[in-house]
Amino acid sequence: MKRLTFGICVLFLGLGLVVGATPGVAADTIKVGVVGPRTGTAAATGKAFEEGIKLATGYVNSKGGVLGKNLEIVFEDTAGAPDKAASGFERLATRDKVAMVLGESHSSSALAEIEVANRLKVPFIVAEAWADPITAKNYKYVFRAGPSNSGVVNHTIAKWVAHEKFKKAYIVAENTDWGLGIGKLCEAALAKIGVVYETLETERKSQDHYTELAKIKAFDPDVILAFIYGTGLHYFVAQAGEMKVSPKAVILDGAGPPSLWPDFWKNVGDYGNLECFVSSMHEKVELTELATYFREAYVKEFGVQPTDYKSRSIFDAILIAADAINRAGSTDPDKLVQALENTNLLVTRGTAKFDTTKGGPSYHHWMPPMLVIQWQDKKQVVLYPPEGATGKLKR
Amino acid sequence: MKNKTFYVTLLPFTALFCLLPLVLDDYKLHVVIVSLFYAMMASSWNLIAGYTGQVSFAHAAFAGIGAYTSGILAVKAGVNPWIGIGIGVVAAAVLGLAVGVLCLRMGGIYLSLTTLGFSEILHIIITNEYEFTRGTMGLQVPGLITHYSKSAYLYIFIAATVITLVVIYRLIHSNIGLNFRAVQNDERAASSLGVNVIGVRVLAFTVSSALAGLAGGLYGHYLLLITPEIPSLNQQFLVLSMTVIGGLGSFVGPIVGAFVLEVLSEYIRAYGEYHVLVFGLVALGMARFFPKGLTGLVQQYKTRQTHVMGEA
Amino acid sequence: MFSLALMNGIVIGVIYALSALGVSLVVGIMNVINFAHGELYILAGYFSFIFADALGWNIYVSMAAAVGLVFLFGILIEYSLIRPTYGNDMYSLILTFILSIVLQNAYLLIFGPYPNKPPNWIKGATNVFGQFYYGNQRLAALVAGVIVIAAVFLMLKKTWFGKIIRAASQDREMAELNGVNTKALNMLSFGLGCALAGAAGVILAPVFPVSPTSGVPIALTAFVVVVLGGMGSMWGCVVGGLALGLVENFGAAFISTGYKHIFGFIILILVLAIRPVGLFGRSET
Repeated sequence: MKRLTFGICVLFLGLGLVVGATPGVAADTIKVGVVGPRTGTAAATGKAFEEGIKLATGYVNSKGGVLGKNLEIVFEDTAGAPDKAASGFERLATRDKVAMVLGESHSSSALAEIEVANRLKVPFIVAEAWADPITAKNYKYVFRAGPSNSGVVNHTIAKWVAHEKFKKAYIVAENTDWGLGIGKLCEAALAKIGVVYETLETERKSQDHYTELAKIKAFDPDVILAFIYGTGLHYFVAQAGEMKVSPKAVILDGAGPPSLWPDFWKNVGDYGNLECFVSSMHEKVELTELATYFREAYVKEFGVQPTDYKSRSIFDAILIAADAINRAGSTDPDKLVQALENTNLLVTRGTAKFDTTKGGPSYHHWMPPMLVIQWQDKKQVVLYPPEGATGKLKR
Repeated sequence: MKNKTFYVTLLPFTALFCLLPLVLDDYKLHVVIVSLFYAMMASSWNLIAGYTGQVSFAHAAFAGIGAYTSGILAVKAGVNPWIGIGIGVVAAAVLGLAVGVLCLRMGGIYLSLTTLGFSEILHIIITNEYEFTRGTMGLQVPGLITHYSKSAYLYIFIAATVITLVVIYRLIHSNIGLNFRAVQNDERAASSLGVNVIGVRVLAFTVSSALAGLAGGLYGHYLLLITPEIPSLNQQFLVLSMTVIGGLGSFVGPIVGAFVLEVLSEYIRAYGEYHVLVFGLVALGMARFFPKGLTGLVQQYKTRQTHVMGEA
Repeated sequence: MFSLALMNGIVIGVIYALSALGVSLVVGIMNVINFAHGELYILAGYFSFIFADALGWNIYVSMAAAVGLVFLFGILIEYSLIRPTYGNDMYSLILTFILSIVLQNAYLLIFGPYPNKPPNWIKGATNVFGQFYYGNQRLAALVAGVIVIAAVFLMLKKTWFGKIIRAASQDREMAELNGVNTKALNMLSFGLGCALAGAAGVILAPVFPVSPTSGVPIALTAFVVVVLGGMGSMWGCVVGGLALGLVENFGAAFISTGYKHIFGFIILILVLAIRPVGLFGRSET
């Protein structure tokens, strides 16, 4: 009995805490939420996002902010897990009452978040989650200002494979949503251009790829399209070098950032030379004046050159959001959607415009141009597209 | 007589919880719902760990069985989620029975390692059988009610929690429950007195798995998304910490632990993702120095008070 | 394909056996399963990385220092956490399980989420029997692993300390009656078990860099190997490790790469269903 009484007291205390005071809301800012992995295996992306957020809020607020107030970003962690992402998104909408949410780099998390965005009517601009269904579902409140799987495969990877005249390709896809999705799209695109291919599934966390590489070696491909995110890619590249699968076969990192992470060279050693990767940023190729501004501001703020292009993706997304809020003249979700649909804004990666043709993944989607880059003696050489190329493929 | 006190206490509580939607906004209701889910999980895990002295690491896995069974049925065969959850509970119970029979003869370390293996096997299957489970992306499932509302879900979870607590209470305070205690206190003595030790353990394990399946199924349909996170070791760790911090082997302990930890984690969240580390350290200190948890501490304090009063 | 799966199976198998030795030793003597075994493995990897990479020490010196530190850490764990739990297996399980999660999150806080890789001992790859190329660092890890395992066996067979350990694991009470200080023995053997985890960690970190959570699969396979070989049996550990390594690699080569890690757990369940004491375990009397 006594114990029960005590339990009641504790429960009341707990509930009291729940009901209790929430942090006061400052009314002199407009809040915009950002979702991304600050912990977990892709915490690097969270760090890149933080850097981009810092630069973008500085930029927007120095240009007069939004609706005459300062822009404030609330960054919620998703830990790279869809369930945490969905509840994080909901927290931003219900607790922080944000006008919009931006960001995300995991397709799985984004697919959970768009459901919440649509249910709670919060405009959501996806920055770096590539899975096609995110925009193919044609949700009214969901936009994407960044690459999609089909965009990257059809506009960049497949065209590059054709451009280099590769005959045999091997697709290695991690068994996640992104890996399997982009792997399937690659199969279709390669079949279309008459390239012979084989596919193999692997685990993102796997540290030992010897058996898989033996299978690849037996097939003897010209190019390996590796869709493994994170340090799993480093192990793959290093072990492919050890087993002499590469450099005979060119490896393409189909995501990009892992090949730019600071520990890449330490993990792959000399075997990282001649590896190729997809990226939307190159140290020498700057498409707009804003890209130059971004690089200079980044160096000034952090003392090093920007490497992970995701810091620039979130920078762009924040600029697009601020511009839309200003043109909508309010934070009403439907007015914001309308303003976003009329976006025509110069950002670091070109001019952002959202497509409004319904029925496919191109709805509410702006596909920024992507590059294929090769490491040649620790220097980045752009191979594709031809108009941006700074060198030739070395094998 | 004892039963009466229990029901008399349970009733006002339930009523009180039912009034919450009047005073809380959606975000806080969400915290209460998640706390109720953890209260169900921790209480049912306590049934095995606290009352029969077996540490199972598959409790979160059984919640996952409940959630995925119901979710896959709903998505692939269009089964109504309510029926799906029922089937999920049965599936969790059957698997619980199988695991129980397989390793409860050995008990102790073997049980812990087997349940760990079971939970890993489940994890690997979920990530690989992409066609059915959507792997790490998570399975998007329909809700339990046509029109999504937090307060409706709160009532569902209150009802489920009450059912869970009543089942556990009845089990502990029956003749079988006496056997539980006997088994935990002294296995050999109990079995020499004719208590079927293994039978008692298997029963506790099966009931506990079924309750985990129920909690998991409801939770999955509340989140509208079932991910491998539900049957993960991290989730298992949270449930274990809640039980240990609240008080292993006490009836109120796990419930208190679940609410305290869930509410705290929402508060700590604002200061970055350190809450797992903080909980771990607290749980470690608790388990090492106050094995009876919070409820045990309060009791200690009370007995000391009465002691002092008696002397005066 | 076949020859590579065989080779890789043997290498990975020796690695598994090495990771499981410490668990087996501790279970045999104290009947305690240390859930944080994988995290101690990781800790040694981090130490060797810090000494060799950040402080620029000689690789072998840093490895020895890392193993020594983990040994001391193990003694500390035994003294502060495990000692009060003797006679209650459940309690030590709960404590070490919580400890493993605490350590994982502490590593995340201190070292960040990226894997850390100590420098390789040697570079390049060797052509094995004209069949395939194999990384030199892995071959070196294989040799080092065999040496450590052999050293442990020699210690158990030939030294005075080994005799005491064997006596204690066979009949604890009898050993105590004969004047063995079991308190000190527990502390030393727990430390030794942790040091073995550390040895595996420093040998493998250059091949498989360590990250905060990469200890989990290591610990899981170690537990599978221990159950498969039989609780507390050292030979069982070696045989179990090799068997698991071969099964996993042949399974990956000829059945499914995605299901590579499930084979071990299926074996575990089968062993428990058919012969719970494992391959070399003594049935409890």
